[in-house]
Amino acid sequence: MSETVTRAERPKPFLFPQFCKACGRCVEACSHGAITMGTEIDPRTGLTPVVIDLEKCNGCGLCFEACPEPFGLMPKPDKDFDPGVVDPETLFGAKASTAQMPVGTPDVELPLPHTEPMVLKGTHASAVGALLAGCRHFFGYPITPSTEGAELLAKLLPGLGGTFVQAVSEVAAVNMMYGAGGAGRRTMTFTSSPGFSLMLEGISYMIGAEVPAVFVNIMRGGPGLGNIAPEQADIKLVCRGLGHGNTHAIVLAPASPQEMLDLTMLAFDLAFRYRNPVVIVGDGYLGQITGKVQLPDAMVKPGIPEWAVFGDANHRGNLINSIRLSEAELEMHNVFLNEKYDRMREAEQRSDAFLCDDAEWIVIAANTPARMAKGAVEDLRRQGIKAGLFRPVTLWPFPIDALASFVPHAKGFVVVEAGSGQLEDEVRLAMSHAGLALPHMAHVRRSGGVLPSKKEIIDRILELEEVTHGHGVL
Amino acid sequence: MDTVFYNRFERNGAQDGVKAHATHYCAGCGHGLAHKYMAEVIDELGIQDRTVAISPVGCSVFLYYYLDVGNSQAAHGRAPAVGIGHKLANPDSIVISYQGDGDLASIGLAEIISAAQMGLPFTVIFVNNAIYGMTGGQMAPTTLMHQKTATTPDGRNRLMGEPLKMAELIAGLDGPVYVERVALFNNKQRMRARKAIHKAIQMQVEGRGFSFVEVLSECPTHLKMTPEEAEKWVEEQMVPVYPLGVKKDTAPEPWFEPGEPDYDVERMLRTLGTTDVPARRFNKGFPRHLDPSDVGIKLAGAGGDGAQTIAKLLCNAAIDEGFDGTYIPSYGPESRGGTSYADVHVADGEVLSPAVPDPHVLVAFNAPSLDKFGPTVRPGGIVLYDATVIHSVPKLADGVRAYGIPFTRLAAELGVFRVKNIVALGALQAATELFPVTTMRSALHRAIHAVAEVAHINDRAFDAGAESFKAVLQQELVSEVSSN
Repeated sequence: MSETVTRAERPKPFLFPQFCKACGRCVEACSHGAITMGTEIDPRTGLTPVVIDLEKCNGCGLCFEACPEPFGLMPKPDKDFDPGVVDPETLFGAKASTAQMPVGTPDVELPLPHTEPMVLKGTHASAVGALLAGCRHFFGYPITPSTEGAELLAKLLPGLGGTFVQAVSEVAAVNMMYGAGGAGRRTMTFTSSPGFSLMLEGISYMIGAEVPAVFVNIMRGGPGLGNIAPEQADIKLVCRGLGHGNTHAIVLAPASPQEMLDLTMLAFDLAFRYRNPVVIVGDGYLGQITGKVQLPDAMVKPGIPEWAVFGDANHRGNLINSIRLSEAELEMHNVFLNEKYDRMREAEQRSDAFLCDDAEWIVIAANTPARMAKGAVEDLRRQGIKAGLFRPVTLWPFPIDALASFVPHAKGFVVVEAGSGQLEDEVRLAMSHAGLALPHMAHVRRSGGVLPSKKEIIDRILELEEVTHGHGVL
Repeated sequence: MDTVFYNRFERNGAQDGVKAHATHYCAGCGHGLAHKYMAEVIDELGIQDRTVAISPVGCSVFLYYYLDVGNSQAAHGRAPAVGIGHKLANPDSIVISYQGDGDLASIGLAEIISAAQMGLPFTVIFVNNAIYGMTGGQMAPTTLMHQKTATTPDGRNRLMGEPLKMAELIAGLDGPVYVERVALFNNKQRMRARKAIHKAIQMQVEGRGFSFVEVLSECPTHLKMTPEEAEKWVEEQMVPVYPLGVKKDTAPEPWFEPGEPDYDVERMLRTLGTTDVPARRFNKGFPRHLDPSDVGIKLAGAGGDGAQTIAKLLCNAAIDEGFDGTYIPSYGPESRGGTSYADVHVADGEVLSPAVPDPHVLVAFNAPSLDKFGPTVRPGGIVLYDATVIHSVPKLADGVRAYGIPFTRLAAELGVFRVKNIVALGALQAATELFPVTTMRSALHRAIHAVAEVAHINDRAFDAGAESFKAVLQQELVSEVSSN
């Protein structure tokens, strides 16, 4: 074959002038001077597209590689092709993409045989819950008092075909979760307050892009570096401040190693049901307490949802994305998210009420302080005082419907927390949104890592009782 | 027409017309070329279905308008972390992270360096045009010295730092296998750029490792130049600072062989170490001689004394016996060497507060622990302390009985210092009769996964503690009798 024949067969360029931005790269690329800057303004773009003189063109093709536009200079399909009479809409294919409609694979529940109770630390129980929920991808950064959960997964995940990554920071960790969660995998992290702060940017992106993931935040004392003792210091953050923008996530508050396991499993279910992150908050004590844990009767083999960007033919058409540049589109997205939040408020309120049915003093407490509060309620009942414990298991959405049913006979709420009033703010806000009048409000608050004691709670309620009996009013 | 570009850019908000077929980039911008070479290479390698492109923040945030592959849009600078997430989620996917200079070389430095050093097979295309585009012409980490930008109106000076040479920085790491810097300002450079992108993605397809291509690119708009002038500027001003060429090129054997997630029930139960054999129970009821429903025990010493080990063991024993049990350590920095204490509850019903502020039983391994916690032991409680190292007992509540047992000396006599906690456990058992001896022994055997000779020493240590307590008690009785 002679070179001249080959050259004669090489396709020459054509251009739909409306797709030319007149950058001139092709002019400089063409050694034969076949392309020149145009002078005529294209009315569709207001630009002056280049002009091609095919007589001078030897079909070298360098101009194709010089044109930055996907639909700019390209080879003529055949010699007689005339871009002037062809509609580009017909030339480039009827559909935007040849990608197939994605199909999801469903989760499968696998029954577990009965086993004897295990004795597990809170963080370990949560890690076991994650494994049973089908999580095989962990990304995190060590921080006390949450690290033991990560350590256990580092040990166990490799044997289960899983992935454990200690990232360079919480910022990197949350974005790895965004990637793996966006690919449709069940992914989680263990962190503690300062680390959770660093993850907020990523959580906002996840909520915007509808990426599911589970965050276990073993809260410690703050602000700043604070200390590593137990505090419920991030309730405001998880309920009201999950990064920038209009964000909410279901927040679960366990009170025992058993619940650390159960609620971690539930968290994965909820995260994928709503395509939204779920946060589990425990205080430092809950992370560290060792106790009895019974495994559930089934584990989960998760599928890959239809929306995932998994990196295969099935999911090629998908996009994980939180940017919505047009105001109208972003407002629509927020309306959509608000509807999703409403559905969560409707369906996901969870709580545990202990002796509340006839209670005059309703102690409201979550996490470890609820354990002290339960002891206080038992003691007070023995003294003939009608106390009850209302324990929100979801801090968001706050279980206001259940609490509301106890309001009519309540003289007062006593909010017990290892913090400076963040839980009480949630109670007040929920009551206000529900249009309910607050009963008398009292509280027992400790912070800095000090937990409210049973005695402090009893003393507070005895004080309140005395005032009520002494004066008839509060 | 069949390319890896969408046939029309519907995500740009247009079904047809100019907007559906033209990029949003300015005339003379280099992004379009980098996109085009990526699209061509993806097509050549036959990986369109497997590819996941990570869009960054910056002008190229809309990469997902154009490439007909799986698309994921990342927060500013975090594309490599997002890419790692995708790659690990599906190791068979081909992940390409596309980033500009602000995204990669400023806000995302930690992510790119750690991702490169991790060395997973994935590909980063880094477009360096020495200026911020999307935010409107501010200084980039790669802005040249003396270059005027919106935030360096008098030109970049020393206070703003020297231009960052990312290709060299990345090539200096051990993780990456291929690093090259290319440009777009003439035919020759464009061919090299296309070739480099091909090689970088191919390295990933072959599973060899992390590859990085820095593309020197033109931003005529913010350089306030014509496209032609901008090309010249890159060639004459940028290239001397950012020399072109291959910075690293190794071709190690493919090494990335991740496992497939496993959901086998049997393997899961083995991994968790569960059992379906109930623990044998030896108790004849709750130890009511200590408390009607909830016994609190505090074990305190220095890090390494083994307080945590026996606390966990007591908790296990309680649960084995069908009671509720909890154990909570002091988990502060002090648990890494200073004082270390543990709280244990054994309850007939449910343990409520896991803390033990007023223990029924205190085991103290050193004097500071006894001084601190001795006075908190409730009236009628029991204190056991290491008489080897503690020579005085603080004032205790009424009716608290304190017994000095030489934990350390007895352990030393057995030749293993670290079994002093087991000596203490034996003493605790003898002093409290919390559980039957068989319960303690069986919990001890299961908790200390040890070879036979160590188990043997544990048994002897346990016995030595128990016997020592009985001897001390005997002596006390004798002295009581004689003083009476």
